[in-house]
Amino acid sequence: MPNPDATHDQAEALLPWYANGTLDGPDQALVERHLTSCARCQRQLGLERVLIDEFRSFAPEAETGWTRLRGRIEAKAPPRRSIAEVATEIWQRFNRPAFAALAVAQLAFVVLAGSILLSLNRPTYRALGASEAPPTANVLVMFRPEATEQHIRTALKASGASLVGGPTAADAYLLHVAPPQRATALAALRSDGAIQLAQPIDAAPQ
Amino acid sequence: MKVHGTASRPRTDIARSSGFEESELLNRVKARDLHAFEKLYRIYQPRLTRFLFNLVQRPQLVEEVLDDTMMVVWQTAGNFRGTSKLSTWIFAIAYRKALKARSRWPEPVADEAFDTRVSNDPGPDQQLHEQHLHDALVEAMEDLSADHRAVVDLTYFHGMGYREIAEIMKCPVDTVKTRMFHARRRLKQALSGSLRDWL
Repeated sequence: MPNPDATHDQAEALLPWYANGTLDGPDQALVERHLTSCARCQRQLGLERVLIDEFRSFAPEAETGWTRLRGRIEAKAPPRRSIAEVATEIWQRFNRPAFAALAVAQLAFVVLAGSILLSLNRPTYRALGASEAPPTANVLVMFRPEATEQHIRTALKASGASLVGGPTAADAYLLHVAPPQRATALAALRSDGAIQLAQPIDAAPQ
Repeated sequence: MKVHGTASRPRTDIARSSGFEESELLNRVKARDLHAFEKLYRIYQPRLTRFLFNLVQRPQLVEEVLDDTMMVVWQTAGNFRGTSKLSTWIFAIAYRKALKARSRWPEPVADEAFDTRVSNDPGPDQQLHEQHLHDALVEAMEDLSADHRAVVDLTYFHGMGYREIAEIMKCPVDTVKTRMFHARRRLKQALSGSLRDWL
């Protein structure tokens, strides 16, 4: 048999939401059962209804700030698109068959061209005193549409990759990872929920 | 910007829209439709203004946090996946923005001795006019902490369930119930003269 005090406490705590009509079946049944025998909760329910009426009887007389906000939006135009938004668009485009075929062909071309260029393995010459060369892209990724900017940041950090370019013609992004860590980084990227595709675009490190 | 309530009756009906209508608007907002965003803004602006005023209690901050909230909605609408209600998502953004804004300002101190003090005003024999009840309610709300005010307002005014409130405030449902329990006790004490028929 349930402890009457415990039931009372439970029902009393739920009264505000019983009064505003948001309780689900079991909670509502508990309160209703208890109300049949508890005069204190019956009075309390009356108070809850008075409070709801009172609260709803006044509201802020707020002037509209739409003009102000619109100015702020327009001042930022064209709106800055986050990587996640770009990725969403990529995914939506991918869902169109004609575009998907074209994009896959473009992606294949980018991957192939990257591999060929990097496999030429031409010696590079740097003047003495020249600043350090920017990192070369050796991995290509595409982000999932639902990936947020935070997901993407976390995925990049976890794999040790840094963003060096993109979006490409196929809206992919180019990353650099230290060659000895390339296999580990690729595995980390491929297992990450934010990433749809991770592909090396250089020759496998010796 | 006026944000304090007026005691004028009849009851104020803040625009409520259907979930379907809001979802349609959001789809258009995702496609960068500024006109749809204006409609969404006009649906949420009164509700958020009130919610935020209860949280930050400073008109200038309310404006700032409201604008920041709606800017986030505009900029990240594409991230909303519909796993919660749109209102829950927007109120949760507003709540986080309000907490951040509030941290820059000293919080009005909640009166800790309130629980044990007998209310002196109004006296038990005094019949209060509705205006007095309204004023007493506003005053009693000001004595609550911001989190208590948020739970009370989301329940009584916005008509939300405790699970939705917990989602907005990112806290366990038991915390919502406990906050509500303490807030009600304080409100009852503050309004004891005005609501004596119920106490």
